[in-house]
This record gives sequence, C-alpha cells and structure tokens, in this order.
Amino acid sequence: MFEAALALQALINGASVALVYILVALGLTLIFSIMGIINFAHGEFYMLGGFSAYYLAQVAGLNYVTMLAATLLAVCAFGFCLERLLFEPLRAQPLSGFIASLGLLLVLQAGASILFGVTDKRVNSPFPGVLHGYGLVISRERLFVMIASAVLIGLLYSFLRWSKQGLALRAAAQESEAAALLGINVSRVSGLAFGMGCALAAAAGALLAPVFYVTPTMGGQPLVKAFIIVIIGGMGSLPGAVAGGALLGLLESIGPMFFSAATVDFLGFGAIVVLLLVRPTGLVKS
Amino acid sequence: MHVLMLTAALLCATTWPAAAANETLKIGVIGPMSGPAAQWGVEIARGAEMRAEEINAAGGLKIGNTTYDLRVIPYDHKANAAEATTVVNRLVFQDRASYIVGNSIGATTTAAQTITEPNKVVFLFVSWGKQSLGPQYPYSFRETFSDVEVVEPFYRWLKEQKKINTVALLDVNDQSGRTTGASMVEAAKALELKILADEYFDRALTDFYPLLNRVLAMKPDYIDLGSVPPGTAGLLLKQLHEMGYRGTKGWVSGAILEGAIKIAGPEASDGLLAPWSANLEGKNTPPAVKQIVSKYQKTYGEPAGNYVVDNYVALDIVTQAMKAAGTTDTQKVVGQMAGKKFDSAWGPIVVGGKGTYGVDHQFLRPITITQYKDGQMVDVGSAIPRDLMGK
Amino acid sequence: MTWAGQVRSITGFLLLASGASLIPVVTDDFYKIDVATTILQDLILAMSLRVVMNLGLLNLAHVSLMGIGAYVSAALAMRLGLSFWLTLPIAAGTAAFMALALGMLTLRLHGPYFFLLTFAVMSMVQLFFHSYLEDIFGGATGLIGVPRPNPIGFGGFTLPLVSKVSLYYLILVFWILAAAVLIRLEYSRLGLQCAAIKQSEAVARAVGIHTIRCKLLVLTLSGFLAGIAGVFFAHSRGVINSSDFGIDPMLKLLVYVVVGGVSNIWGPVVGTIGFSIASEFLRSFHFLETLLYGAVLIAVMRLFPEGIAGALQRIFATARPSPVPSHAAAGT
Repeated sequence: MFEAALALQALINGASVALVYILVALGLTLIFSIMGIINFAHGEFYMLGGFSAYYLAQVAGLNYVTMLAATLLAVCAFGFCLERLLFEPLRAQPLSGFIASLGLLLVLQAGASILFGVTDKRVNSPFPGVLHGYGLVISRERLFVMIASAVLIGLLYSFLRWSKQGLALRAAAQESEAAALLGINVSRVSGLAFGMGCALAAAAGALLAPVFYVTPTMGGQPLVKAFIIVIIGGMGSLPGAVAGGALLGLLESIGPMFFSAATVDFLGFGAIVVLLLVRPTGLVKS
Repeated sequence: MHVLMLTAALLCATTWPAAAANETLKIGVIGPMSGPAAQWGVEIARGAEMRAEEINAAGGLKIGNTTYDLRVIPYDHKANAAEATTVVNRLVFQDRASYIVGNSIGATTTAAQTITEPNKVVFLFVSWGKQSLGPQYPYSFRETFSDVEVVEPFYRWLKEQKKINTVALLDVNDQSGRTTGASMVEAAKALELKILADEYFDRALTDFYPLLNRVLAMKPDYIDLGSVPPGTAGLLLKQLHEMGYRGTKGWVSGAILEGAIKIAGPEASDGLLAPWSANLEGKNTPPAVKQIVSKYQKTYGEPAGNYVVDNYVALDIVTQAMKAAGTTDTQKVVGQMAGKKFDSAWGPIVVGGKGTYGVDHQFLRPITITQYKDGQMVDVGSAIPRDLMGK
Repeated sequence: MTWAGQVRSITGFLLLASGASLIPVVTDDFYKIDVATTILQDLILAMSLRVVMNLGLLNLAHVSLMGIGAYVSAALAMRLGLSFWLTLPIAAGTAAFMALALGMLTLRLHGPYFFLLTFAVMSMVQLFFHSYLEDIFGGATGLIGVPRPNPIGFGGFTLPLVSKVSLYYLILVFWILAAAVLIRLEYSRLGLQCAAIKQSEAVARAVGIHTIRCKLLVLTLSGFLAGIAGVFFAHSRGVINSSDFGIDPMLKLLVYVVVGGVSNIWGPVVGTIGFSIASEFLRSFHFLETLLYGAVLIAVMRLFPEGIAGALQRIFATARPSPVPSHAAAGT
C-alpha cells in the first residue's frame, strides 16, 4: 500500500511528534555532555511538564504560553537544586550517579501517582481543529507543537552559541578542567546544564499534554525514544540528537506501513545494537 | 469506698459481655491499580467496597446462625501475571480469604486460577477469554459479559441496522487483546463481513497516526476499538477524528466510556457505539443502578463506570448464594450459584453459559447497545447473548 | 581476600543455609514459605548479577537470561514432554551460551555503551518472546500449565516435587549450590584476577591478566545461574509471560544488589532479604513502596555508595584493632 500521498501524510505525522522527542533527546544529551551522567529519570521531567500543563493551564486556566514559560523556569530551578544536592557529589562515580537517577525516577513516578492520582487527565489544546490541504491532514495542535518545538530548539541553539553562559557551558562540556582554569564556575554550570536539560524534557511534556493525555506513567516511552535518538546521533552531540530524532521520526511513521508494530520495535532495538557495536559514538560526526 | 466502686466498675466493664462482635468474612479483590489500566482495578475494588459497607452498615451478613462483617482486601497486581500469583498467594494463605470478587486482565486471571482452583477459592472476574471458564475451573465465574456474549450479537445488529460490510479491528497486543481480537474475527467471518485490517499494538502506544494512516487507506465501513483501555480509546477516537474518519465506530469492550470521551472530546467521540457498557444514566437505567452511581460520585468525586456496578452486583450475588446455601463453605456456595437466577441492581441475572463453556458460570443478562450522540449516551438497541436465549 | 575472609564467608553461608532449611519446620504458614521460596530464587539472581557488576559491567539483560532459562525449559517440557531434569541443564546451558555470545559481542564496549546495549538486548528478548514463535512460546498469553518438576527417584524411592515445601527445599538446594560456586569463585584464582581487574583494569592487563577472558567466564557463569533461577521460576509457578522478564523485575534486582553492596559477596543477600521483607509490610501501600525504594536508592548512593554490606564491612574493619601502627593503616 504505497502511495505518495500516504507516505507524505506519514511524514507529516512523524514530524509532529519527532520534533518533541528531539526536545527530550536534546535535554538528555546536554546533561550527558556536561556531566557525563545518563539521567534515567529524564522521562519523569517530561511527565512533570505534562502535569504542569494540566494544573496550570487546564485547571487554573493560565494562558498556554505563560504556562510553558513558567514550566521551563520552575523545572529548571528544580533540576538545578537536584544536581547540586544529588548528582554533583556523585560525579566521581558515574555508576552511582546513574543508580541515583534510577532512585529519582522511582520517587518522582510514585510521588506523582500519590499526589495526582492515576486517572488519565485531559488538557485542552489552545488550538483545536484540523487543517486540510492537498488531501493531507494535520491537527492545529500538532502544528503548534511543531512550531513551538522548533522555536525552543532555536532558542537553545542561540543560547549555546552566543550567550556568555552558553559559551561557558560549551567550554565545560569540552574540557572541564581547562574551563575551570579559565575561571568558569564549573559547578554552577553543571547545575545550569542539568536544569536546562530537565526543563527541555518538561517543555516537551507540556507541549504534548493536549495531544495525548497526562498520567504518571507517561514518561516511560519518551525516555526510551530519547535514548534511541541519542545513541543514533551520538551521546553528547546536540546536532546528533536533531539528526537522530529526524531519523527516528521517519522510521516510526514509515515503518508501520510495511511491518507490524512488534517488528518495527524489534528492528529498532536491533539497529541500536548494531549501531552500538559498530559505531558507538553515533552516526553524526561531532 | 471509692476504690471498691472503681474496682466494681472495672470488673463489670471487663466481664460484661461485649456487644456481640460479628465474625469477619474476608473478600479479596485483585486488579491493576497502577499503570495504564489502573482505572479498571480501582473501580472494581470500589464497587466491592461499596456493597460491603452497605451490608455492614445494615448489621452484617446473616448466614445461618452467624452474622458476618465483610472486609474487602484489595491488592494491586500491576497487570502482571507473576505479581498476580504473589498477591493471590497472600490472599489465600496469609489473609485466608476464600472469596476473591473481582479481577481484570486475562493473563492475571489465568495466573490466579493456578492457586484459587486447587484451594477451592471462589473467584469472580471481569476479564475476557473463553479459556478462563470451564469444567476444569469449578470455582471460577465471570461476572459480566465477555467477548463471546457481546461480539456476536453486536455484529449481527451492526450488519442489519448499520449496513456494515467491511471492518477494521484494532486491539492491544496482550492476552486480553488477542482473545478479543479472535472473537471479533470469528464473529465477522460467521456474518460474512470482510476483515480489512486486524491490528495489534503495544499497550503503551499513544501515537496512532502511522497505524491509522494505513487502516484508513483501506476505507472500512466500521472500526472496532476492541478491548483497549479508556485512555487509549480516547486517543484512538481523537486521532481518527483528526484524520477525517466519520464512519461507524464501536468499542466492543468499552468499559469506562467517560474516561475515553473526556480524552477524545465530545466531537471526536460522537457516534461511538458501545455494546458492552450499559448506559448508567439513561431513561432505561434501573433505579438501583442510578443509586449506586450517584453514591459513587458522592463518595469518590468521580463518575462511576460499569465495573463499579458489575462488581457491586457480583458481591451482592455471592452473598445471596451464601444465604441460600446457609454457609460460607465454597463448595456449597458454588452449588447455589451455577445455573441459578438472581435479582440484582441490573435486573434479573442468570448464571448460565453451559453451551459455550461446558458449565453454567457466566453471568448473563440482555445487552443494551448504547451510542454517544450529541453529548449524551442514548440506548439505540438491544440484543440477547446466545446462551441467554430461551431462558 | 584473606583466609579469614574466606572462613567468615563459609561460616556465614553455612549459618544461613541451616537457618533456611529450618524454615518449613518452624512455620507451616504456606504464605511465609512462599515468600522464602521467592527470596531464595531472587538470591540466586542477585548474587549472580553482583559478580558481573563487580567487574563494572551493568548487565541489564540479566533478567533476559533468566527468561531464556524459563522459556526454554518450559517449552521443552510442554512441547516435547521432556523431563525437568533434562530441560534444566539444557535451558541453563542455553542461557549461559547466550550470556557468552552477549559478552563476546559487547565486551569491547565501555561504560555507558555496554549498559545501553544490554538494555536494547533485554528489550529485544522480551519482544521476541512476546510476539514471535507463538506456537512454541505462547506469544502474548505466555505459557500456561508448565509442569512441576518430575519426581526424583533412586533405588525404588521417589520424592515428588509438587508441594510448596518440597519446592522450597529444591530451590534451597539450588541456592546452596549456587552460593558455594560463587564463594569458591571469589577466592579462586579467577576471583583474584577479577579483584585485580576491579582495582585497575589497565594494571591487571599489564600484569598479564587476560581481562576479556575473565569477564567472559564470569558473564557465562552468571548466565548459567540466572538460567537455573529462571527454570525454577517457570516450573514452580506454572505460568510465565514475557512481562515477567522486563525492565521492572530487572530494576528490582538492581536495587537489591546496589543497596546491598556490589563489592561484598553478602551485599545481595542483605539487599534481597531486606527489601523482600520490607515489601511484604508495604504491600498494602501501593505507591508508597516504590517511593521508598527510590528514596532508599538515593540515600544509599549519597551516603554510602558501597552499599549496606560494604558500609558494614568498612565500619567493622576500622573498629577492629589493627596490628599495624595506625598511621600506616590510615592510608587504606
């Protein structure tokens, strides 16, 4: 069943969700590049973003963009504190840091289940309705999500490229000792990096909340996808995350046209295994 | 003098026969109370608790010469078969419960039965699958419709009333989904409906665009959401609507319709047919059911789904059978359940199903087909399960 | 790594084994026996995971090795009617072989890449048993009705293995054998080589230790033991499903080992028994149990990353009077 229109629709479908997963992956890889830690709790910040959207936008009626900004700031601060208290002391032993992030995952997920309840919650989209054109269809909320994600990615890029803090971050990522010698407060930079990484995941969650629904276990899938993207693109590589996300989005939309869902997943993991064996640094040269 | 009075008072207090304390009858409940299907488990547990509280408030359950206070013990098996064996072990051997009223998710029912049957524990569940009932499971009962009772009459109704010729069947790739899918396929084939798609997907999937893209290209007359949980159903409805599907859609096992409708929104849910789920607030709804629903809303602050009523009724029927048997001995109680007719909040219920399962352990009553139309649930038809015809 | 250490280990092990063998004598509460059975089974898994993690290998596919043991044995018993005593070595051997294959493919990878790869492998194995070869492995439904182990018979005397108590003693025997092997390993030449690798892989290699081969051997052994645990799991429960071998049980094992302590052979014992018992008390509290697990993980990592057993070892080591003048011992 391969027609051009079908394929094009598939691509549009893929793009809308892929961009959000890129946001999550960027957060994950940013954290890894600065701190060398794999944050297993990353998906839970996505979930927190979703609940933030629910409580601030749906329940309290806050304007959607205001809610996004508030979420970014709040989660960034939260992540900063977590890094200072929990991860910074464990820098020397990455395995311990990883396990601590596992503990954080359990605490956040269980905490959310207790505080917010397990019932799936709906968040109204600020942009309801569907757009049609050339036999293709896209919901306005997905279009908004695409645009907002692209904007956030652009903001991240400009921050890293041109701002003073961004430069400090990049220096610390490349060579933390040298950076420290140059007077960069490496520990504060780490906190900022972690905070930003978590904030990106939370933004993704807040953006996708109206598209799907909000529930304490919603962080599991995005985490796996983020890992896959980061492995494809290369751990610590930001352009790699973008490329990896695009590739994953493509495969996920085209794949089901030919294979059953189980086979798509199976091949996906198989590709990861092959990639890790052959080129662990990822497909994108950094 | 005061000392004497005090001592006398104390003596009286300790030797005076305490208000006759009722014995405790433990009723276990298991289900998925966390994760994607959590709503099912939570509703099942609450349904039993509501009925138990009512009985206790009225003085307890009088069976023969003993009066019992019912104590409901719920455990979360997290939709996991191994966890299910653990919690059932706990219920049977530590809590010493002889009755388990309520479970959902087929794989966990099967796992639980490996313990309940050898230990003669009466086990009622809502999960689907023909393999869960039979002569090899003398203590197991299904308390509500399963695929067998619902799919065939519903599809017959669809073909006649909605003029359906082609169908696309969707479901979750797990035991429940697979058995439901098999029933849907069987019923469709028997009615000579053309099956354009028969798709299974991972329980955790949320983005159905790729899948639906392929399914919609085949232009089916009817799409069935099978036995997916409410959140998933909501997403499917929403995404179907976004992709432009305006054809007939049904959700054979639709158990918590409000949950799905809330996620999908009223526009996307409009037209949804639900043969399994009875309308809990319609003009044909029995008053007893309406009472249960409003009490649930008051107590828990959420709208009740069918599972609440189903498990409430299940516990009610079990206690009726205990009274008829004059004992809580499970073997005798089972004898007072199989093949018998009961009055319940739903109306008359027959425990039958011998034609399909070889034993009369399936709760049967007429099916009402409801449809979500213009923001409301309306009754649009009814059907009789095969095993109930002529009873 | 001293004689004293070995004697202590063996003594502790003998004490534990004798205590465990008395449990069905002391109680006839079937539920408690059930919990004890699960603990012993988890001990085999946790202790075999520990030796691998002690070498710096975070093998998230450990639970898949258990699953392979379970599925292979169950399928052979149900589809071909083979006896448990035949399917046990075949299935455990398959798991060991898979572990070896995994090791040979991946041991060139370092740090995060190894664990990511084992995560992908675990997902693939789970997907495989869930969706493919349904006629053999049961697909989404899994396998129902896995037979109990065949009775042991010798010289006209047969011992059936159906009751809870008999199954308890079976897993106890398995655990005793597994623990004996692991203790022996700890103090053997291979064990010493592993300790050297743990201290510094570069130095170990320089001294002539074949690091890859050590890791492969340990990984294969851990696979064999995990396979045995899996076989017991399948035949004692009678029902297996691909969801029994996914990320949730794997994380549970990880918590047991890490909190108990990776460097100490008794670490996983402390972790498994501690958490299993705590879990029984917390069972009615659903999410509070998970919350506690997470909080304990964080606390342990922050306060004593070497785990409870490791911390205890450290405390007792500093408390004991040292034969060497204190300023020299302070350096360790």
